[in-house]
Amino acid sequence: MNNLSAVLGFTIRNKFRSKAFIITTIILALLVSVGVNVPYLITLFKSDKAINIGMLEDGTNVGEQLKLYYDAAEKKEVNLLVYPNEDSVEASELMLKEQIADGEIEGYLMATEEISFGFPIIMYKSEDTMDYGTMNKLQNGLQQVKMGMVVQELKLSKEQLDTLSAPVQIDKVQISATGGAGSIGDGKSEEQIAVATGMVYVLIIMLFMGVMISGQLIATEITAEKSSRVMEILITSVSPLTQMFGKIIGMFIVALSQITLLVAAIAINLMLPHNRDAISELNINLSDIDPMLLVYAIFFYLTGYFLYATMFAAVGSLVSRTEDLGQAILPITMLTMVGYFIAIYGIQDPNSMLVQITSFIPFFSPFIMFLRLGTTDPAVWEVVLSFAILLVSILGIGWLASRIYRAGVLMYGKRPSFKELMRAMRAYRA
Amino acid sequence: MLPLTLQHVTKVYGNTTAVDNINIEVGRGEIYALLGANGAGKTTTMRMVLGLINPDSGHIQYEGKDYSQDILKILGYLPEERGLYPKVRVSDQILYLAQLKGMKKKDADHKLKVWLEKFSVPEYYNKKVEELSKGNQQKIQFIAAIIHNPRILVLDEAFSGLDPVNVELLKETVKQLRDEGASIVFSTHRMEHVEELCRNVCILHKSRTVLTGNLKEIKSSLPKERIMLNTSEEVSGLSDIDGIDKVTRHESGYELHMTNPEAAGHVLRKAMEQSAVQRFEVMEPTLNEIFIKAVGGDLNE
Repeated sequence: MNNLSAVLGFTIRNKFRSKAFIITTIILALLVSVGVNVPYLITLFKSDKAINIGMLEDGTNVGEQLKLYYDAAEKKEVNLLVYPNEDSVEASELMLKEQIADGEIEGYLMATEEISFGFPIIMYKSEDTMDYGTMNKLQNGLQQVKMGMVVQELKLSKEQLDTLSAPVQIDKVQISATGGAGSIGDGKSEEQIAVATGMVYVLIIMLFMGVMISGQLIATEITAEKSSRVMEILITSVSPLTQMFGKIIGMFIVALSQITLLVAAIAINLMLPHNRDAISELNINLSDIDPMLLVYAIFFYLTGYFLYATMFAAVGSLVSRTEDLGQAILPITMLTMVGYFIAIYGIQDPNSMLVQITSFIPFFSPFIMFLRLGTTDPAVWEVVLSFAILLVSILGIGWLASRIYRAGVLMYGKRPSFKELMRAMRAYRA
Repeated sequence: MLPLTLQHVTKVYGNTTAVDNINIEVGRGEIYALLGANGAGKTTTMRMVLGLINPDSGHIQYEGKDYSQDILKILGYLPEERGLYPKVRVSDQILYLAQLKGMKKKDADHKLKVWLEKFSVPEYYNKKVEELSKGNQQKIQFIAAIIHNPRILVLDEAFSGLDPVNVELLKETVKQLRDEGASIVFSTHRMEHVEELCRNVCILHKSRTVLTGNLKEIKSSLPKERIMLNTSEEVSGLSDIDGIDKVTRHESGYELHMTNPEAAGHVLRKAMEQSAVQRFEVMEPTLNEIFIKAVGGDLNE
């Protein structure tokens, strides 16, 4: 026990003192601060200025109607400039192109000869590729103009027109049909679903980063101890098991304090008045976050961390030189990546078979069961079973990893083959 | 109860036997030399003593007990390939290693300062290991091995890579530890160190023990084959004497090698006939010779 605390203390102290660690933490804190400020920055850069769009005067009065529609808007989105026709279509277009080149307009509209449902097909020409924002505005405007024309022909009253043009309203509420363990509870509104999904997204990325970064650090430290031959001294001083778990737990504390710092950075940034406004403008209400989701996140971080940390430790113990480490941990990295990608894919389709199955596989379940809990409503037994499988796997893999570690730390030279490793593991049974 | 005994210890790696049936007994306050050419099995033997690897057969006992985690606290180890954290300060890592050996941090700190003072490098306390020269790193490594006053100390190539002044310093320290009662297993390629320090030796060759026992007894039991002869005049005809197979001229005299001990008398008589004799000595074999004979002779087969 004394030894464990000595290993713990040494691991933590060295990490906190290392310049690389301090610098990465600062950079990460800066990055998340910038990330939190992105919504605000977007509002800052979003120009409210209307776009200038050109239009040729033609026989119809589409152009004037459109201009009237845009000018009548509360917030002018499009500034329609109507240009007189030149002698030929070619000459008109040439003139409009010059206007684009001079920066007077972004693009121009042209009514074609073709008529579809009583309205000419409109062509929009601009240098940009599809700009959906502009396209939507044009579409809306033209739709209104067309509607106005039709209404005029039908001679409808103002009320009739309003009734016709009012959109159908759908209120989306997510409910739980089985009363499962998920975060749905008594039903969720669309905003709540959006917040929960965003939260799951962010937490899965953090989970993934946390597991990967600290796992690789553990492997690197162990390999470094091996390559600097400190390992021989350590092994003659303290049992390998104490050593390995001291390192894993120590690194866990380091990672946890790093995460706490980052969360604090996020929280402080969210508290800033300008961000509060920007975020509420985006219809995000942070109080919609289910606290249970955060509890699950912590639990899955813990289990995921220990599962992968023991694997990283075992692999680190097999490698003699730090240069060879990257290649050796590749399989584990791939495994986390697979879990990560299934989770990211699963956010869109959380009820798919793939997500359901992988939520029970221990290497993936920290990511994917968490995803299911956040976005859908798995039954309680499913969650319990997934936890149970995960915990048993942690014990099993931890045991195996400590055996590999015991044998691996003293094997120098090339990376041992599977057979050599098995033989060595038998030799250290005592 | 002997501090350290190895009985019939054997270690096999795959098809090769690394150590074959070795027997060692190290008493209190004794330095035991483990000698052998490269790859003879010294390091494997030491690693088995340290519990780094398990012997396939035979017993290793520490003060009459089998290996356990408790034994680690009385073991000290100076590995052949030095191992320290390069980027960690000397004080931090020595205190860490001492704590792992069960020392209190305060005691360890005090002892570290004493040792640094003794090795006249107190300024290294706050330095990182990578900033030190190789020889000085070795001093730190040595302190790491002995700071917890181990009762059993394993020194693998303790003095390699050190300048003569530092060799002397470490040698004195090893002697001091011996006098304080430590049992020390010691390996080196420098035979003169063994002659100076060790009571018992064990020479390994190709994983087998070829010679073992008390160094003095081994020497006196072996035939004396070397004669040192210093005379004022030149002596001729020495190589014609029966039983003398080799005569080497040195600056101040002759070194003769005899195959028959009776030849010594003939040599002295012949020398006195021709000149005044300043020195005539039938030499005990040096450990160097014994080693080469035990190990090198075999190589020529």
